[in-house]
Amino acid sequence: MLMQIHELAVGYQGRAILPRLTLQVEPGQLWAVIGPNGAGKSTFLRTILDLQPPLSGTIVRGEGAIGYVPQRSEVDPAVPQRVIDLVRMGVERGWRVLDPLAARRNPAIEAAMRDTDVAELARTQWRRLSEGQKQRALLAQALAGEPKLLVLDEPTSAMDMHAEAGIFAVLERLRDERHLGIVVISHHLALLARYATHFLLLDKDERLALVGDRETVLRHPAFIERYGQVLDRGGRHD
Amino acid sequence: MTDTTSFWASWELFRDAALAGTLAGAMLGALGVYVLIRRMVFLSAALSQAASLGVATAFWAQIQGAPPWLATPTLGALGGTLLATGLAGLPDRSGRRDGWLGAIYLVGAAGTLAIGTKIVQELQDIESLLFGSGVAVLPDDFQVIAWLAFALGVVQLWLHRGLLHVSLDRDGARVQRLPVRFLDFVLVLSLAAAVSVSTRLLGALPVFAFMVLPALAALDLAQNPTQALVLSAFLGALAGLGGYWLAFSASLPVGAAQTLVAALLVLLARVGRVAGERAFAWHQHRARGPLQHPAHDHGPECGHDAVAHGDHVDYLVDGKLHHPHDGHCDDHGHP
Repeated sequence: MLMQIHELAVGYQGRAILPRLTLQVEPGQLWAVIGPNGAGKSTFLRTILDLQPPLSGTIVRGEGAIGYVPQRSEVDPAVPQRVIDLVRMGVERGWRVLDPLAARRNPAIEAAMRDTDVAELARTQWRRLSEGQKQRALLAQALAGEPKLLVLDEPTSAMDMHAEAGIFAVLERLRDERHLGIVVISHHLALLARYATHFLLLDKDERLALVGDRETVLRHPAFIERYGQVLDRGGRHD
Repeated sequence: MTDTTSFWASWELFRDAALAGTLAGAMLGALGVYVLIRRMVFLSAALSQAASLGVATAFWAQIQGAPPWLATPTLGALGGTLLATGLAGLPDRSGRRDGWLGAIYLVGAAGTLAIGTKIVQELQDIESLLFGSGVAVLPDDFQVIAWLAFALGVVQLWLHRGLLHVSLDRDGARVQRLPVRFLDFVLVLSLAAAVSVSTRLLGALPVFAFMVLPALAALDLAQNPTQALVLSAFLGALAGLGGYWLAFSASLPVGAAQTLVAALLVLLARVGRVAGERAFAWHQHRARGPLQHPAHDHGPECGHDAVAHGDHVDYLVDGKLHHPHDGHCDDHGHP
């Protein structure tokens, strides 16, 4: 077990925005968190990452680190950073960051860059990367910490189809090779339907939280009502 | 005798002051990188004005009979800075933090001017507090800034990795369980100490300038944040010392001269950055050469997606942007 969530209520200022959630993430699973804009997806993600407190319920984290891949827009393009600088940051853990003698050359860094195909871009500035390359650099940063659970916030937003498919292919390979558990927010239903093993459909306005494996959720009337046509067209939802 | 020759010939006269300016430039230059990355330039302006109010208040308290060991300008500056830091750090749910920082800045500036009119006989010139027109530094004061610069240098060597991490990626740092609050505390304490001691010696204007301008130039030129820290410290020191030379040569107020030298460094860095970017683009263009072009001319009917790219339209082919012109396509990279 990588993460066990039981009767979790998320929200702000004491007000829950979603029904209580119960789910368990295991190694090898890819959980897709979907829902319209403002559905509460990011609030859920921030809560399980311990970036904001839950209103009630429990989150039990298994052994092993969590790797977080933020949206690409979170990286300031005005600050000079090479890919290697970003990835090195992923190695830091806890108070170890205060150790000035901590080795900067870490095999995990090289492995992470190799597994995400950014080794050749190590000396390239962030601002000069394509969107797909940026996403793979952020993935490498998260992997450098050798996590067991990877959490991604909209990794393929503002990408063309070619790059989007490439990112999901990398995620699938990482899941298989490293036996990772993955939780990802995305709007690309066609890719999610192919790669996700489990779904979490959220809708704050309708107080909906649908949790289950792919087959169960894709056949659920609430899912079909919202996204059946979108999925038939093979496209994104808003 | 040239200005430079006479500057060095007179070095003994203002050596401590010039070195104090150099050390302040280096300290504040390095810390300025964090200020810019965290987008808290207004905080640094507010802190420098609060420090100058603290200095003015200390002088005024001395006139009113307060014990000299208590009402020292350095303690006054530190008190003003810490008070402003505390006020700026109060929880604010109104979303108007920049407005509150503006209020601290204005109270600091107006308070310094107001108190200055009451202590003009003692202080000689309140302008030195605000604009850095003072040229004399007492040996004790020089020792204070020298030791502070040494201490902050050690702190930076020890903690810069964590300080940069928290400044660049706060959420990531929290997920990775870094000691975010401790690192925030170290940074704020470093800023408060550097601002208060430097403002006491140089005045609010050059202190604010050293916290913004060298870092602005360094972030244009550096390859990574650590390099920016070192470069910014060097450029800050250069502005601190160069400002004394300019003030000596052109008979300018020191604080204004230091600010102008720092601004010149920003200009030169920007020119260097733009030239570097153009050289890079030209090199890439030459290295890539023309793309393998599909068997048609790109246009609205060609079947490839048209993508706005800067001031023109490119066409998306196999994940790459094709820019058709003069009978061939240039590779404009990925979208």
